[in-house]
Amino acid sequence: MVNWRRFRVWLSLFLLAVGLSGLTAACQFQATLPDGRPAQINLTLSSFAVTKTAHEAIMPLFAAQWEREHQQKVRFRTTYGPSGRQSRAVIDGLEADIVHLSLGLDIDRMVKAGLIPPDWASQAPHNSIVTTSVCALITREGNPKNLQTWQDLTREGVTFVTADPKTSGAARWNFLALWGSITQTGGTPEQAQQFVTKAFRHVATLPRDGREATDAFLKQGQGDALINYENEVILARKKGHPLSYSIPPVNILIENPIALVDKYVDKHGTREVAQAYIEFLYTPQAQEIFAQYGFRPVDAAVLAAHRQEFPPVPTLFTVADLGGWEKVQAQFFANGALFDQIQQENQA
Amino acid sequence: MTATHPISPSLSPQKQRRQFPWVWRITVFYLLVMLAVPIAALLSRASSAGPVHFWQVATRAIALSAYEVTFVTALIAALINGVFGTLIAWVLVRYSFPGKRFFDAVVDLPFALPTAVAGLTLATVYSENGWVGSLLAPFGIRIAFSRWGVAVAMLFISLPFVIRTVQPVLTEMEKDVEEAAWSLGATHGQTFWRVILPPLMPAILTGVALGFSRAVGEFGSIVIISSNTPFRDLIASVLVFQSLEQYDYEAATIIGTVMLLVSLAILFLINLLQAWGRRYAEH
Amino acid sequence: MRSIKPSPTQEKPWLHVLLIVIAIAYLALVLLMPAANVLFQAFHEGVMPFVENLLEPDFLHAVWLTFALALVVVPLNTVFGLCAAWAIARHRFPGRTLLLSIIDLPFSISPVVAGLMLVLVYGRNGWLGGWLQALDIRVIFSFPGMVLATAFVSLPFVAREVIPVLEEIGTEQEEAAKTLGANEWQTFWRVTLPNIRWGLLYGVLLTNARAMGEFGAVAVVSGNVAGLTQTLPLFVEDAYKNYNTASAYAAAVILGLLALVTLVVKEILERKTGIKPNP
Repeated sequence: MVNWRRFRVWLSLFLLAVGLSGLTAACQFQATLPDGRPAQINLTLSSFAVTKTAHEAIMPLFAAQWEREHQQKVRFRTTYGPSGRQSRAVIDGLEADIVHLSLGLDIDRMVKAGLIPPDWASQAPHNSIVTTSVCALITREGNPKNLQTWQDLTREGVTFVTADPKTSGAARWNFLALWGSITQTGGTPEQAQQFVTKAFRHVATLPRDGREATDAFLKQGQGDALINYENEVILARKKGHPLSYSIPPVNILIENPIALVDKYVDKHGTREVAQAYIEFLYTPQAQEIFAQYGFRPVDAAVLAAHRQEFPPVPTLFTVADLGGWEKVQAQFFANGALFDQIQQENQA
Repeated sequence: MTATHPISPSLSPQKQRRQFPWVWRITVFYLLVMLAVPIAALLSRASSAGPVHFWQVATRAIALSAYEVTFVTALIAALINGVFGTLIAWVLVRYSFPGKRFFDAVVDLPFALPTAVAGLTLATVYSENGWVGSLLAPFGIRIAFSRWGVAVAMLFISLPFVIRTVQPVLTEMEKDVEEAAWSLGATHGQTFWRVILPPLMPAILTGVALGFSRAVGEFGSIVIISSNTPFRDLIASVLVFQSLEQYDYEAATIIGTVMLLVSLAILFLINLLQAWGRRYAEH
Repeated sequence: MRSIKPSPTQEKPWLHVLLIVIAIAYLALVLLMPAANVLFQAFHEGVMPFVENLLEPDFLHAVWLTFALALVVVPLNTVFGLCAAWAIARHRFPGRTLLLSIIDLPFSISPVVAGLMLVLVYGRNGWLGGWLQALDIRVIFSFPGMVLATAFVSLPFVAREVIPVLEEIGTEQEEAAKTLGANEWQTFWRVTLPNIRWGLLYGVLLTNARAMGEFGAVAVVSGNVAGLTQTLPLFVEDAYKNYNTASAYAAAVILGLLALVTLVVKEILERKTGIKPNP
């Protein structure tokens, strides 16, 4: 019977606190401007993980400009995560106004769900691609195994790390870079399949995404090389992770699309401001910030100004050259498709 | 150990009827909303595939190997913890040594550490450059990014269960029986195998089974410490996650359903085991 | 300062020491080293970056949200756990073992599947999706969905801890109270609850620890909007994915500390009640 009375008091206080916190959450206020527009407008952006730092730098600039021009505050709600998870969340009801994802496939899914019109790609400049990147080959200090091209990865005694194309949408770019390095230089699909099968025999580990791949390579010492996105490598270097890398001369252009989520902007009445933010992302000012955080800008002038960081790639192909996402997904990554077959074959 | 008390027969039927409805109502309502409805949604989505297709997806080679890796590794981990967990429980209950209380508290750590953090730190400690991994690397033993890594993560998250189920039974167990056995001339070995172990067995088995079922469902830490290579160290939870990333809800729900049914069967077994344990204690 | 109590079974002292050493070595290998590594990662750049990381507004909101979730989920699961424990411990009925197993189920369901199940019910394309949308009620990707997910994964603990205690204390005292004219509420409040309170509190603490630490299921249903639906474990992931490793580990240490508070409370409870002998 230790302090039974006090125990009861404590219990009642606890329940009271729960009730109160529920009440406060229920009360929300909404101020309006003289002309009836809300004084503050909320804009929700859903994007893939590594764009966070760039968007955080761009948002205040846009908010200031919008407030100057429309006397209205913009409050950004942001969510960052793996591209596939972000896309699925929006389909399942996360009401984002804008999506900026790592691959077009994830936006096509939203088109199928009826959230975005099929012609989304023509709604913004550069086919709605707002940032780009390429695949980088990261090696150990001083490149002891002298790895320069994708072909070098299949040399005897070499192992490498790449994120798993099955769990990470973005990692599909890595697979496509390997595949295209054969088919885009005159090779046949059979040769490409042989090469990719052989390459995946040299994989040390398949982490869930690019971030974990970096740690597997760097902190946990897996593999002689790491395939990752150039923007992610630059971000990692900025944050103090020592990585030395090169850009193989046959490479894929990673295109990160952006789109308005039609259904939700209409529901929230945010079409105008969402459209304005998308357009703002294409201004040299915003493109410059993207470039600083490691993305290859789509604005030609800004790209030219960053020649040093982003050396041109001699043979650059796109996912459209490989047949587009729909075809690529069905051919390579769907359950039971080529990637699964390769894994199975390599285990046999 | 005190015996379980059966319901007192003196409680009249009317009283019982009057007394329990609201308790039952809350229990049943909460279970319906929290468990039954979501599970029904999963089952209905999975069964919309039709039995033939369901079977095909559920028994694809990659899925079969994932079940094998999950269940066999979880079993091995649970058994290892069965041995060491019992030993730790014994040491914590019977002996006193400096820092004992600290070690006792540490046992609950896996409940509290977010699984992703657990995975990261395990992968770091057990990798070839890590504190533990580097000691084993010269012998050619690779823990992180192999099936051993999966086992280590499972050991980590399932360790508290054996310790926490064995501890109370051990506390209750009277030492006089041991002493009697000993004074009657039994050796240490005999005392242990014939006198100490049998009454502990139900608790140990329960702990092993609980740890096993927890390990089977683990995702967050294993996805990091495993290399996720199919047919080698890809577990079923990661396979479900992969299917989700492929927008393949069908495969995700079907494999999820298989996991669910197996788990239910295991838990059912555990609870039968516990009922048996209680009966054992009563006699 | 090593004081080994002479055991009544008169085991050899070397066996004693050996067993203790094995136990500690195993705990160190499986639990302590990984935990120490978390601390090491958080502090190896000194204390200042650690403190700075803790002042980010998103971080503070994540801490608050994590508390708020626990504040809602723990009472819910406590009330349920008590009812379920009472119903199960005081009755023998067909399907009792099955009911117990079903209550245990959240324990072994992969959190990813748990999240998926909630999406299948409450998501835009789920069973209740259309209906919820018509009423403009948000469940998934807002607080209620996160409550559901968290409550789901931490559901078994209270019932699990209370059932054995209820079975052990039996019904005599309750019977006596009723004979003396106490009504059911009084009986529960004055007789049953005091008897089970430590078992109950232990269950509550475990529920709390699990509720605060849950990642997988919450990640699926929260949408991870910073400053809105981002809990502490999600913050850890976000920071990690953006290469803010120190920030990620700092948040992990805070989560670990919350757990430590739980453990300390539990330790105090045990010492007060003498549930475990502390020689």
